[in-house]
Amino acid sequence: MPAESISVEMHIEAPPERVFEYFTRPEAMLRWMGEWAALDPTPGGEFSVNIRGVPVRGSYLELNPPGRIVIAWGHAGSDRLPPGSSTVEVRLHADRGGTRVEVIHTGLPEPEATRHADGWRHFLKQLAKAATGDGRAPTSR
Amino acid sequence: MLVRDQSRPVNEIAEHFDISQQAVSQHLKVLREAGLVAVRPERQRRLYMVRPEGFESLEAFLADLWPSGLRRLKAAVEADDAR
Repeated sequence: MPAESISVEMHIEAPPERVFEYFTRPEAMLRWMGEWAALDPTPGGEFSVNIRGVPVRGSYLELNPPGRIVIAWGHAGSDRLPPGSSTVEVRLHADRGGTRVEVIHTGLPEPEATRHADGWRHFLKQLAKAATGDGRAPTSR
Repeated sequence: MLVRDQSRPVNEIAEHFDISQQAVSQHLKVLREAGLVAVRPERQRRLYMVRPEGFESLEAFLADLWPSGLRRLKAAVEADDAR
């Protein structure tokens, strides 16, 4: 299944060591993301944050202070993005006395519209097969 | 949808269903906890209404998550650093 990714960058006027904490300490994270957080910043440790009512659940996969954090990311109760199903890589580069933050979120599900289009194509193919009764590829009219 | 355009008390909502008012209250409680329905008190009644943001799609959530997240991160870190 093709997967989508999102990549975003931001320059912050603070050293990477400081920015790193905002991804690993609950009270620092809640200053910018989420209403509730339970974080265990060790490899395999818990990463749970409720963001705008969405229960984000996963785990820390890698922690290399102060430059890199990898998080398994998903949403509790979601079929399309279950807990831990996507990957968030955070890269913190020392840059001009501050930090260039790069977030790369990979393994995201295809947009629903595309899925639905695929679903309909599949369904129409099945329908055509059933209608012709011989399993041949459907002919367009 | 019954409570999309206006807020309504539970007895008015229950009239539209074949289940008891108590059962409707239970369903509303679940929806409220899931963030899909909001409640506001008015005199002796509690009025229920839909929270449109609760129905935000996964796509909309993900599209906004990191761009607005990093803006807020920048604001938080730089404000904390200035203390």
